[in-house]
Amino acid sequence: MRHIKLEDLSKSIHNQVIIPKVDLVIPGGKFFALLGPSGCGKTTLLRLIAGLEQADGGKIYLGDDDITRKPINQRSINMVFQNYALFPHYNVFENVAYSLKLKKLPKEIITQKVYKLLEAFHLEAHIYKFPRQLSGGQQQRVALARALINEPDVLLLDEPLAALDFKLREKMLLELIEWQDELETTFIYVTHDQLEALTVADQMAIMNHHGEIEQMGTPKEIYEFPHSSFVARFVGTTNTWHGKLRDLEDSPKIEIPELGTFKIYIPQKKGWMEEGYDAVMSLRPEKIFISKKTLENFDNEAKGMVLEIIYHGRSTQYNVELANGEKIQVFEQNEKHFPEEDIDYDDQVNLYWQKESIVLLEK
Amino acid sequence: MNSPPFIKDPKKQLPFALGSPALLWQVLFFYIPLALITVSGFLKVSELGAFEGFSLENFRLFFSPVYLKTILASLILGLSNTILCFAIAFPLAYFMAFTGRKHKNTLLFFLIVPFWTNFLLHVYAWFYVLEKHGFLNNLLIKLGIIGEPLQLLNSPLAIMIMMVYYYLPFMVLPIYSSLERFNESLLEASYDLGGNFQTTLRKVLFPLTSRGIKAGVFLVYIPSFAEFAIPELMGGDKKMFVGNVISTFILGEGTGSLGAAFTLLSGLILLLSAVGLYYLLTWILEPGGKHG
Repeated sequence: MRHIKLEDLSKSIHNQVIIPKVDLVIPGGKFFALLGPSGCGKTTLLRLIAGLEQADGGKIYLGDDDITRKPINQRSINMVFQNYALFPHYNVFENVAYSLKLKKLPKEIITQKVYKLLEAFHLEAHIYKFPRQLSGGQQQRVALARALINEPDVLLLDEPLAALDFKLREKMLLELIEWQDELETTFIYVTHDQLEALTVADQMAIMNHHGEIEQMGTPKEIYEFPHSSFVARFVGTTNTWHGKLRDLEDSPKIEIPELGTFKIYIPQKKGWMEEGYDAVMSLRPEKIFISKKTLENFDNEAKGMVLEIIYHGRSTQYNVELANGEKIQVFEQNEKHFPEEDIDYDDQVNLYWQKESIVLLEK
Repeated sequence: MNSPPFIKDPKKQLPFALGSPALLWQVLFFYIPLALITVSGFLKVSELGAFEGFSLENFRLFFSPVYLKTILASLILGLSNTILCFAIAFPLAYFMAFTGRKHKNTLLFFLIVPFWTNFLLHVYAWFYVLEKHGFLNNLLIKLGIIGEPLQLLNSPLAIMIMMVYYYLPFMVLPIYSSLERFNESLLEASYDLGGNFQTTLRKVLFPLTSRGIKAGVFLVYIPSFAEFAIPELMGGDKKMFVGNVISTFILGEGTGSLGAAFTLLSGLILLLSAVGLYYLLTWILEPGGKHG
């Protein structure tokens, strides 16, 4: 399956830069997610790849072919639109058969292909229904089938699940993953929902408010090793502190004013990591262990008081006020039916974490 | 839950209350005159205007080439005006609804503003544009396109210009309103699935805006078939259309029932042609069945 390569791609709309120069390689045959806040330009990037917008500068490659100036109806790329954009005057069969009919394929072949795909999408009972007679999930499947019937090299999905409720969305996410596995088509999935992106993606890229790609990698790399505080904050939840780097040669530490000095671990030394540099320490809430007892075997500890307890079901969130007045979040898995210790409001607690759990960021 | 007996269900009363003035108007100024016209079309009157009975005599006169030609001329006038209006209106409405949405209010304003002035003033304004030493001739001479002034007034061209000018908004507005409700991403989906401009127009845009197109077509076709003021004013005395014949007979002395008969005959032809046009439009705009 062919990959997509973007080279110096740029686009402005009404004199406003939406996409500055973007370079990105989207691997072929993978499930790729493009994650970014609302209005960051990710949909525009998708529309550029689809051919719905013309780039101001730069190139788009599909495999080795330069498709920058190729008209939309000649690209082997299909799209699932945000509101599905099903043709309301055509039934399910006619919607899915639309592109085959345009190709003027023989009737028997069209019928055969469409039936086969609709069966695979569990839509055989709805073939002659019109879009308005279908549920959201069924409409979603029709849109998917319509986009896939031509066996495109690349399938673009523009927040395709935004209109569905939570349960259905989870189900459709898994279905999408299965489809991608089976077809090995390159899927490019645009969303502002980090959970969706982390769930589906083999590879993902994070776009910031200015339309720039902040980081690209596997979901795990993005989540565990964010390159910037934007990525750390946007993907998942995190606690951040500013502090000065100390003792980089022997046993590296970070000194946080009014809070203390904490051990850190530097897997790979970067240029900016100098003695005394004002860096950001990011610590995920689930990496912190909370207890009223005094425990050994942790690299770091801090004391605090429980301000709020929010019960999420599978986990509990504690908002803890530290000695310097800062608040941090701690997630604790609710593993046991009867927990060993009860933590309540206003309890004095100890927070523990290992130095490997910390991610150091430039700013 | 039943409403108390002394309060009548407002849901049933209100539509009737709101509709009754219109109904009254319709009866007084449409159904009753229509009935009068129908009756007088079959009247036989003496030279002096006295009632002599009913007959089909009045109709016989019109089955002659002169009058059939008149009807044919009106059909052509109506159809060509409709086609020209559509050819201008659809791209304009498309521009207002999609590409040029920013300019929508300005364009709507300019489209509607002529309705604020009297019709005769429009005609006189066009006289100034089209007359022998008028704006258009002077412009063409200045530009060196023509040497001698053209005969523009009192010509079929002048009639057509005025017709299109006057009827264009009736075509633009319904088409615009149906385009505005149209989900533009359906066009994108069609292109994405391999469609080109023509197929997208034929398979997606026309079927889904056919209501607006049909409304525009009939709003223009029906009155322009019967139009008599514009041909009279712009075409000099050379052009005879259905409307001119009717007005001549009805206003003439003792020819009222002839006028009524011709009204009925041409009305019937208009009705038949409109029905035919409806099916033709359905066939062109909605291949594969009726849609929204």
